[in-house]
Amino acid sequence: MIMLRAFLIAGLFCMIGQVIIDNTNLTPGHITSLFTVLGSILSFLGLYDKLVDFAGAGATVLISNFGHMLYSSGLLGLKEDGILGLFSKLLCSSSVAIVSAVVFSTILAIIFKPKS
Amino acid sequence: MSSLLFDNVYLKGSFSIAGPLEKIGKIKKYDLTFDDYYFKEKTFEKAEIKMQRIAINRLLSLNDLKDSNIDLLISGDLSNQITNSSYATRSFDISYLGVYSACATFCESLIIASSFISNNSLNNIICVTSSHNLTAEKEFRYPIEYGSPKKKTSTFTATGCVSTLVTSSRSNIKIKSATIGKIVDLDFKDSNHFGAAMAPAAADTIYNHLNDLNIDSSYYDIILTGDLGKYGSIILKEYLKENYKIDLKNHMDAGCEVFCDSENVNAGSSGPVTIPLVFFNKILKNKNYKKILLVATGALHSPLILNQKDSIIAIAHAVSIEVIK
Repeated sequence: MIMLRAFLIAGLFCMIGQVIIDNTNLTPGHITSLFTVLGSILSFLGLYDKLVDFAGAGATVLISNFGHMLYSSGLLGLKEDGILGLFSKLLCSSSVAIVSAVVFSTILAIIFKPKS
Repeated sequence: MSSLLFDNVYLKGSFSIAGPLEKIGKIKKYDLTFDDYYFKEKTFEKAEIKMQRIAINRLLSLNDLKDSNIDLLISGDLSNQITNSSYATRSFDISYLGVYSACATFCESLIIASSFISNNSLNNIICVTSSHNLTAEKEFRYPIEYGSPKKKTSTFTATGCVSTLVTSSRSNIKIKSATIGKIVDLDFKDSNHFGAAMAPAAADTIYNHLNDLNIDSSYYDIILTGDLGKYGSIILKEYLKENYKIDLKNHMDAGCEVFCDSENVNAGSSGPVTIPLVFFNKILKNKNYKKILLVATGALHSPLILNQKDSIIAIAHAVSIEVIK
């Protein structure tokens, strides 16, 4: 059941992206940023946590989850250490994704040659 | 008047090199093809430089000429500061002019060469045009590793290089006239739809050419536009009909003739090499086409100026060519 819900939620987000790219002048870069901002707004409204409970990975593997993590860890930092905490903890929970992206892409770039 | 009439200018021989996707496309027969985008070099830029070098060398040996017989080399490509053309030329002892008009480069170089020859100041000029999918895409669109989805209206830069000799000695292909285009700006901003940005420029140049020379579009057996692609071609015809009352029946777009339909290439082929590849390997090999109008179209923007919210400006240059006996 969780798989069906994950499929539906992730599919819905991707469908919105497809509709945007087919009908506007926005580029994939614009849409990625748009979904990050959308994720943090949903997180601010308290909806993204519910979405994660409902759809599991269907909500966490999307780029909108990056916005959600930025908002939630920034908020946590603000509560614990004030304004300085907002700055120091903003990237805490998304660190895994960012660092692994940098490390693995560096390794792959050394091993492989780019092709079409 | 921006149209020029040439006297005693001929095209003698050409050499075409095409990449992996082009050789399984609609034309198939090129002088030289290769399978690997690196062309046995370390980087894509070096591959493009090698393509140009081979194209010039093979053209020289084809015509039995040496560096010293050539008065001028005019070349262009899509790379920043057209470095690929300049670096390819360093292996030759020939005077060099680098030109840039994006995908209208081929016609621009033909016009410059024809003018020198027509007024008898020079005799043998080599024109080289190249583009490489993987050097151009990362400059104008996204890095290839990014793997972003593409729109149906976007085009795919062709990989290849074409060299040709423009000369005063008689051959069966004569360059008769040319029309130098004007910059056309309709405040169009969609960087995924260059066909729409360039179609009005092509229409403007075709109209000026026919008007200046006082001929009808049916004078030509074929009007070959550069790289408008599937959707740009439709826009060109509608635009000509509505704004200039010209009904274009003998039109072909080079962008639709290089690749077979597949998801990768979307609206078709683009890049400066598209029009010479189709012209030398398809149009000239077909005996039905005697009077040919080449209209190469180019979008003269850079990603930087688009990020600064300016519009995509376009240009088209026309060259009239006749196959004689």
